[in-house]
Parts: sequence; C-alpha cells; structure tokens
Amino acid sequence: MTGAQAMIECLMKEGITKVFGYPGVAIAPFYEGLYNSDIEHILVRQEQNAGHAASGYSRISGKPAVCVVTSGPGATNLITALATAYADSIPVIAISGQVSSELLGRDVFQEADMRGATESFVKHSYLVKDPDDIPRVFREAFYIASTGRKGPVLIDIPMDVQMRELRKPFEYPETLQIRGYKPEVRVNMNQMRRVVNALNQAKKPLVCAGGGVILGGGQQIVREFCEKYNIPMVHTMMGMGVIPKKHPLNFGMLGNNGKPYANKAVSRSDLLIIVGARLADRAIPKPENLEKRVAVIHIDIDTAEIGKNMGPNIPLVGDVRDVFEELIKQDIKAADLSWAAELEEIKHGTVDRRVFDDTFINPNTLVQTLSAKMEDDAVYVADVGQNQLWSADNYVMKEGRFLTTGGMGTMGYSIPAAIGAKFCSPERQTVAVCGDGAFQMCMNELATLRENNLDIKVMIVRNGYLGLVREYQEKNYDSHYEGVRLGNWPAYDKIAEAYDMPYFNCSSNEELDEAIDRFLNCDGACLMVCDIASENSVK
Amino acid sequence: MKGIFSVLVENRDGVLSSISGLFARRGFNIDSLAVGETDNHEISSMTIISTGDQRTIDQIEKQLNKKVNVIRVRRLNEAKSICLEMMLVKVAYNASNRSQLIELCQITGAKIMKVMPKHLLLEYHADPEGVEDFIQMLKSYGISEIQRTGPIALEKY
Repeated sequence: MTGAQAMIECLMKEGITKVFGYPGVAIAPFYEGLYNSDIEHILVRQEQNAGHAASGYSRISGKPAVCVVTSGPGATNLITALATAYADSIPVIAISGQVSSELLGRDVFQEADMRGATESFVKHSYLVKDPDDIPRVFREAFYIASTGRKGPVLIDIPMDVQMRELRKPFEYPETLQIRGYKPEVRVNMNQMRRVVNALNQAKKPLVCAGGGVILGGGQQIVREFCEKYNIPMVHTMMGMGVIPKKHPLNFGMLGNNGKPYANKAVSRSDLLIIVGARLADRAIPKPENLEKRVAVIHIDIDTAEIGKNMGPNIPLVGDVRDVFEELIKQDIKAADLSWAAELEEIKHGTVDRRVFDDTFINPNTLVQTLSAKMEDDAVYVADVGQNQLWSADNYVMKEGRFLTTGGMGTMGYSIPAAIGAKFCSPERQTVAVCGDGAFQMCMNELATLRENNLDIKVMIVRNGYLGLVREYQEKNYDSHYEGVRLGNWPAYDKIAEAYDMPYFNCSSNEELDEAIDRFLNCDGACLMVCDIASENSVK
Repeated sequence: MKGIFSVLVENRDGVLSSISGLFARRGFNIDSLAVGETDNHEISSMTIISTGDQRTIDQIEKQLNKKVNVIRVRRLNEAKSICLEMMLVKVAYNASNRSQLIELCQITGAKIMKVMPKHLLLEYHADPEGVEDFIQMLKSYGISEIQRTGPIALEKY
C-alpha cells in the first residue's frame, strides 16, 4: 500500500465521504487514490474556498471536514481559510501536498514552508516524512481537530511520502497516545459549588452565550437551564442560534454592533455567566470596566480563554454539555421574574433612532423579511461587512443556523461556506447573503455551485461601495472616501446569465415582499440583487 | 513579575520554533530559554524565563499548555528552586594583572579551561545574578568573547 492509498484508507476510516480541493502535481498521487476510491472530490475554483467549504460542511455536520490542496501557492492560498476556521474554532482537516522530502528546504518550484506559515493559524500541524506515520498522524489529526476546543489541523505530505510503500501493514490505530494533549476535562466540583452559590446569591443573573455553545452541542441544555431558573440570555454573533429570536428570555446580540438593550442587560446584571465566548473587542469593548461592576462566571472548554480578555471571579473549565447537565441538577433558586420583566421593559422602550435611507430597500426590512420567510431549519450564511451586521441585527432566528465568520471576518466566506453546508445537508434551504464587495471575492464559486447542481440562493446586497469601510471613513475621516467605490460592476444579470442562473433584482421596499417570495421559491440556484442606498450605515 | 517555566516537550522537529513563535506572536517576552534532552530521548526539557504582569504570566502558562507538543508545564517558585547558568568567557590578561585574575578565579570558583597567549578561557556557573556579577568583575580586564547557556532550573522539593 502506498502512502496515498493509506491516506484514502484513513479518510474512509474517519467516515469522510467528500473532500473539497484543488489539485496540483505535489498532491497528484493522492488524487490517483481518490480516483480509485468512493470518496467524492469537489473541485472548487480557488483553494481558499476549499477551506471555507470544509468549514461550512463541518459547521452543519458537527464533525471534521476535509480540504485538499497542492504545495506552494495552492497551500498558501488556503492559509486565510485556515486562519478563519481557527478564529471560529471549526474542525477542518487540511491536507497539503509538499515537494519531495529530499528537496525540502531548497526553494524548489512550488515549495512553501506550510508548517511554519500556518503555525499560528492551526491547532496543530504535521509534516509527514515517513509513510508508516500516516495512520497515526491522520488518527491524531481528526482527534485533535474535533476534541477540546475544536480547530483546524494541517497535514503537509511530501510527494514521495505519498508514493512510497508502507513497510508495515496498514493499521488504523484504535487508541491514541499523545502525551501533551488531554482534552477531556472533568468538571471541578469545587468550582461548581462556587457557581451554584453565586447563582443563589444573584438577583440579576444573565447568561452570555457564544459560539462555543453551538460547537459543543449545548444549545438545548443551556436553553433549558435558562428556562428552569428564569435567567435571561444575550449572545455574541457566533452565539446566534443558541436561542430563537422570539424566545421570551432572549435579549439579543450584545456588543458594539448588537442591540442596545442587550448591552443594557449586561450593565444591569449583577452576575454574568459567560459560556463559550472569548469576549473580544467587538462584543465587550472595555472588559476591565465591566469586571469591576459585575461578578463574572466564565465557562469554557479552553482554559486559556478564561482570563485572557476578562478576569472572571469564578472560572469553570469544561465541556458546555457536561457543565450544564450538572448545573441543571443542582439546587438553585430561580431568579425573580421581575428581572426578566425589567429587561423586557427596556427592550420595548428601546427606540431605534437610526435613520435609513428608503430610496431603495431598507436593509433592516430586507433581512427581517427574508429570514422570516425562510424555512424554520434553514441555513443562512452571512458574509462580512455591513451585510453581516445587518444580518446579525435583524435575523429572525428560528431553529436554523446562522453561519458567519465572526472571529476573522473574512470577506468571501458566504458562497463557499454555503456550498459546504449544502453538501452536508442537501435537504435544508440554504441562502448566502453577501455585499457586492464580498460577492466579487467568491463569485468564481458560482461555477462549483452550478457544476454540482446545488440549490443555493445567493443574495447580493448592493450599494456600490465597500460599505463598512465607507461608513468608517465617513465617521472617522470626515467622509474622505478612498478606495471604497465599487461602481456599477459587474453587470449582475450577465453574471447570472454566464452561470445559467435565474436572476432577480429588487430596488424598492414595495416590491420586496414579492421579490423575496420569487427568490426563495425559485426552482434551484438563483441570484438576486437587492439595491440599497450607499448612505445607509450600520450604526 | 518574573515567571520561570519548566516545560517538557516532545523532542521533535518544529517544536522549538512553535514554542518561540508562540511568545513572539502573543507579545510575551522571553528573557531566556534553555533546551536540552531529558533522560528519555523523546522528551526535551525547556527552562523559559519571562517577565510580565500577573495576567501575562498566567496566559503564558495556559498558552503553553494548549500546545499539543507540550507535555507538561510547571511554574517554578524562584525561592524554592535551584537556578543555575553556565558561561564560557575569554578574558584578556597581561603580565601585570595575570596573577590578580587567577586569584579572582580561585575566589569565585571559576575554572580556567585554557590558557592562551593573551587570554584565559574561563568556565563559570552560578545563579543568574552571580553570573552577572562575575561579568562585571571581568569587565576591567577586557572580555573578548562570551557564551551563556541561559538559566536552567529545578525545584528543590
């Protein structure tokens, strides 16, 4: 058995049925293996998108997904996707071809030091020098990617290692021995008692849920916990989907792009229970002020997250499900209903003073209408920019998924991630929403979408600008717009025609309702451009 | 504050750069770093000394622990540890100060490893402060070359 065949065998053992990739010479032996296997290869149109597609797939399946690239530029193109997956803790396995081992370090054609280059963007990485190491490396990689705080793992494999025969018979290891990696943590019962005490003393407890709750599959149990003890919840952008929008205990997304009443809930609370969130600057701009005012319980699977951005009074390390299954059994006094009522009053009393230019479509109405009409379990992939913030702000979350890159904020995520999500769950309605800037970073993937006959609805929120930067320049640089104008290009109807997709355009609030019906009910993939005025801001 | 970390790592390629890269990327200081194999040739031991506020030192420990190639991290208490550093140094001498220099070596316990026409090659080990003091004493003679290992440390208990 060759190294390449062993790689295929490992993927089969891990239950992988699809890989997203872009071939090249240095990974050709592996592709020969793919040719002879049942694993489906999905050709993307640029390597970065193989990574995003794997990310989208993994976020729906909850398991590691695989992307494959060749050495040199193929591999370096993938780095942004790895950094994106790392920031959002998505378990992606990246396989990169490498020049032959004897040529390593000589700067030969298409050589790039991938291990070095990705060091700070992956959870772990391997450079495989012996084909007999392949089973162990793959077993470890899948294990590391999908346990503890999840994240991408890189396997860089020189071409000769793919071609060489294994000396030993192939055996996929059942047990693992990684000395320095012990992701399973037992919940510390002393800390648990402190958490229970704090909850019993608190008058105004508030749960702040992050993306870690979803990654750990804890939506249900966290929701039950809040319901059982009348504890209101706010969430970060990555925590969207932990609780439906209409839930009486949901007080929205916090942060400088979130709901003012969510931020008020944080400042009114006397005990903040942070779960699976790193609380970066977008969520809590000045953590040092907050930690002086309220008591903080920080629950996270990653010890290093606790105390990184905010110093908690009670740290609790553990898997979200383990922690909350334990917590829900404890004797805790439910919070007084007046606390949720107080927040409800604030929520109702909050007047949205933002003024939107209604010349074209009001972006808030757009997202509200679209998401309200979408199926309950639909997948909505928001790109980056104003469209992301409008999406997060207005999305009517039911029991579906809201995928976006909250950590890295990588433009061009939406279409490839939607492709991955759709491959994982073909029966779920899938919509990609992007601005006209981000669309042009990933529109080449319309070919992948069409080639594979994927029913993905692509919506472009067009304002002719890189809107979020424009807004920043308007507010901070006296409206000195520099390098942000996209103009009227491309002609989207012609793009749709080129990819043989139905095309819709809508540019007024009056037509919106009907236009969205047509868009969502269209048979198969389609492209819709919604025009909004360039002057609209997020804040 | 000062943080002394005794870190056991897998003895594999790329591990050292991964550890030093972690410090660079997160803006942690490395005051010194010494690496060597342990009795098990698959495992290396590192002594890393860093300075920073409490939160930084805590983060260093946690981030080191996150590395898959890191087997164990221990934070050493300076007062409860033996901390030693070795140095090799070439010191200039002349007819008038040679005996004085030799006497200094005898008092401090520095070993004369090699006598050269114009220089003595000395080996000296002590705690990092002692090494620093000794260097100060040698300065008046003229130091032509110096190599320090960086401190290594073990807990006394």
